Amino acid sequence: MPPEVIQYENSFPECESVMVETYERCAQNAPNFGVLAEHLKDSLCKTVRKYLQNNSSEEPTTEEIKDFLRQIQADDLFLAIACANGNERAWWEFDQRHRSYLERVTRHLARTDIDAQEAIDSVYVELYGTRVVNGERVSKFATYSGRGSLRGWLRTVIWHSLVDLHRASHDEVSLDEMTENVGEGHAHANFAEVNLGGEVDMINQIAKDRYRKATLSAIENAFANLDDHEKLLLLYYHVENLKLREIARLVENSESPLRGWFQRKSASREKNPATRIHESTVMRWLEKSYANVLKMFRDELQAVHKLSEDELSICMELATQDLAGSSLYRNLTTTKNPSTQRRNLF
Amino acid sequence: MSRVFRTGVEAKMENKQLINPQDIQIQGLLDRFLRSQVSRDSLMTQERHLDEDSLAAFAEGNLGEREALPIVNHLVSCSFCRHVTAELVRLDLAFADDEVRIAVNDNEPSRISEVLSNLLSRIFGTNDSAVFAHQEKEDDLEDMKDSKDIEK
Repeated sequence: MPPEVIQYENSFPECESVMVETYERCAQNAPNFGVLAEHLKDSLCKTVRKYLQNNSSEEPTTEEIKDFLRQIQADDLFLAIACANGNERAWWEFDQRHRSYLERVTRHLARTDIDAQEAIDSVYVELYGTRVVNGERVSKFATYSGRGSLRGWLRTVIWHSLVDLHRASHDEVSLDEMTENVGEGHAHANFAEVNLGGEVDMINQIAKDRYRKATLSAIENAFANLDDHEKLLLLYYHVENLKLREIARLVENSESPLRGWFQRKSASREKNPATRIHESTVMRWLEKSYANVLKMFRDELQAVHKLSEDELSICMELATQDLAGSSLYRNLTTTKNPSTQRRNLF
Repeated sequence: MSRVFRTGVEAKMENKQLINPQDIQIQGLLDRFLRSQVSRDSLMTQERHLDEDSLAAFAEGNLGEREALPIVNHLVSCSFCRHVTAELVRLDLAFADDEVRIAVNDNEPSRISEVLSNLLSRIFGTNDSAVFAHQEKEDDLEDMKDSKDIEK
């Protein structure tokens, strides 16, 4: 019996029933996959350890584990286990269910059909597994945990495969340079070298430098003092250029961690937190984050740098003179339908 | 709902006096700061990135807060992984209406191994029918049973 199973059985015997139920359901749905109950248990235990036990000093309760197990995409996991084991019926079903989707996603991302085909082939090779460890073939499927959907996982595998292909053909490009060129174009600005332009009467260069340093320090500290959830939201919006509807999609699942955090912080929480998140809700979250940043920014300028209200306005003016076109509302434009908008990322 | 919101924004934009200038300024300032920050951070590559399973589960919003805490923390500091999750969200949305083909084709071949052998030979450039040979007999027997059942 694998060590994971032993550990599981010693620690969480009450969860046995959920695992057995899951197995019976999956085996009924796919009787030809040749997956043994021990295979599924082993995989479920790995998932529990990966996501629940490794992330906290506190051991999860039995109820937490049971809930967690019920959320697992069990049929997808069952299929992945069977494919990892080389079951041909499972492979055939995988090919039937997901190949066309996999091809469409890859073609959506790849520059040419040849690149797409190369990526698809590469993904299939990885999924089947060519590496042999201790006499056993290692399939990529073995890394799928069932926490997300198989299709979501496949999208990520495809994405990485295309990145690898791109890197292979652009040896001189670093990973970070390359990822910056992948997806939405990023026009990085250099805050420290902002050309503030114009001369402001009564303010000499020394004073300007002082205001700039104070402004940079204040905005840096204000951002640093935000919670990670707020930081991530702002980074998605400002750096990754995710649109409000895309962020809304990210938090669509009522269990979403970002959504949970913002809803808890929200004074005017929706009556039903399980309802759909609209763009306006994301906008409100952003506005709250801006308000937090503004408050901390002003506090530091006033308390630490001892600037008056007038000087604070000068700081803001100096730092934002060339940002007139920038607005919170820039991302409200609708996006094109994917069928008419092919995004060649690589 | 969306329409009401857009109208609200349009109204705000038309009546600029309703918007506190500092609100707009702080957005611009933050925008510029974050972009420059990421430019600098990108020079410091993270030693470890999130695996595909975690990235996909996070992008789908399937992780609970307890599970997501270290991931959120990583995404704040790792521009590579954050960019992957952003792209996954875009992909998810782009293919949201994609028809999910759950039903397996009715024209299931009598010898599945033939299909898979063809698939593998195309990928590996060789005939790998041997790969699944160990299961052929079992499946052939089942297929024969099935066809007998149908005949009955």
